[in-house]
Amino acid sequence: MAEKLEPAKVLYCGVCSLPAEYCEFGPDFGRCKPWLLENAPDLYPDLLKEANEKAVDNVSDKLQSVGISSGGADGAPSSAQAGGTSKKEEVKRLPGGKLKKKDRQEVIIEKVVRNKRKCITIVKGLELFGIKLSDASKKLGKKFATGASVVKGPTEKEQIDVQGDIIYDIVEFITDTWPDVPERSIFFIEDGKKVQAA
Amino acid sequence: MLSCSLFVNFRFCLEEISSQNQVKASVQRRIRQSIQDEYPGLETVLEDLLPKKSPLIVVKCPNHLTLVVVNNVPLFFCIRDGPYMPTLRLLHQYPNIMKRFQVDRGAIKFVLSGANIMCPGLTSPGGVLDEEVDAERPVAIYAEGKQHALAIGFTKMSAKDIKSINKGIGVDNMHYLNDGLWKVCSLLYSFEMQSGLIGSQ
Repeated sequence: MAEKLEPAKVLYCGVCSLPAEYCEFGPDFGRCKPWLLENAPDLYPDLLKEANEKAVDNVSDKLQSVGISSGGADGAPSSAQAGGTSKKEEVKRLPGGKLKKKDRQEVIIEKVVRNKRKCITIVKGLELFGIKLSDASKKLGKKFATGASVVKGPTEKEQIDVQGDIIYDIVEFITDTWPDVPERSIFFIEDGKKVQAA
Repeated sequence: MLSCSLFVNFRFCLEEISSQNQVKASVQRRIRQSIQDEYPGLETVLEDLLPKKSPLIVVKCPNHLTLVVVNNVPLFFCIRDGPYMPTLRLLHQYPNIMKRFQVDRGAIKFVLSGANIMCPGLTSPGGVLDEEVDAERPVAIYAEGKQHALAIGFTKMSAKDIKSINKGIGVDNMHYLNDGLWKVCSLLYSFEMQSGLIGSQ
């Protein structure tokens, strides 16, 4: 047997997930910049230069502000404030884009035809409302007098499969049993399209 | 400069899985064999990638796209009955398993938005062609001045034709950085990293 290949290590950007060298072609190079500076400064020498210039500017600004406020005691809170605002920005950025989509709370109900006239109803996303899936499946099974089970797909999150077509009653049942779940966050999937239940 | 025509690539996301099965041992063997035939360079690590014992899951998606998934990591994909092609994550780890083409710098932007690779981008000074490649083979697409692959393509004509005709689509873009499949892979990858970190602490 030939020598074993070792997997190469590739540096992926923590922000946009591309290999770091492709960040400049990525969806949002501006947002990647701070990460790149920290983790792969040698890939983008221009960036480093830019940042250094900025840092120099900042320092001179600070020096100026300290000079104006005439006291070390005033300098400290101002820098702390600056830290606070930058943190806020970070938080603001996080929900944007992809992450927001993932975190949105919604229940998705889908009907899958199994055997001509037999079908199952799949309920996804109940766990996002803090509902225990095993409890939920038991309740669903009891209410509709069918089999209901928590199924875990290999690549997907857990979902509840309920035997039979219960799509028309299930919305009412969900809103009645778990008042936390608003009716407008329940969606059907019809012909591959998302349709609001209400 | 590369002129491009936009081609509708497969959009892929987790919600579009139409079926996923753990396949029979015989099918598993067949997939393994065809991967081995296609990428002889992988032979030594194939046992690590596709252990004979662990279940192999085949995920089918719309547009005749099939994914080979082991341990929750998509490793290979194929379209219709085409050859199995590694995902870019895998190719980055084992860069030498595929024939290489290189496009010039001007083309990167277009390739990363899903365009097919046109001949002039491969024949210009920034591009590199592997002369041995025939038509209808999977190839890795690299870029001028970059170390890692940015796309996986399927040649429409042989490398010699690309050079002599030098017009039109040379390579179909199958999978590129930041397409749906890449996003899924990196999502799973980041999950794995997190769980790995927790485990090591």
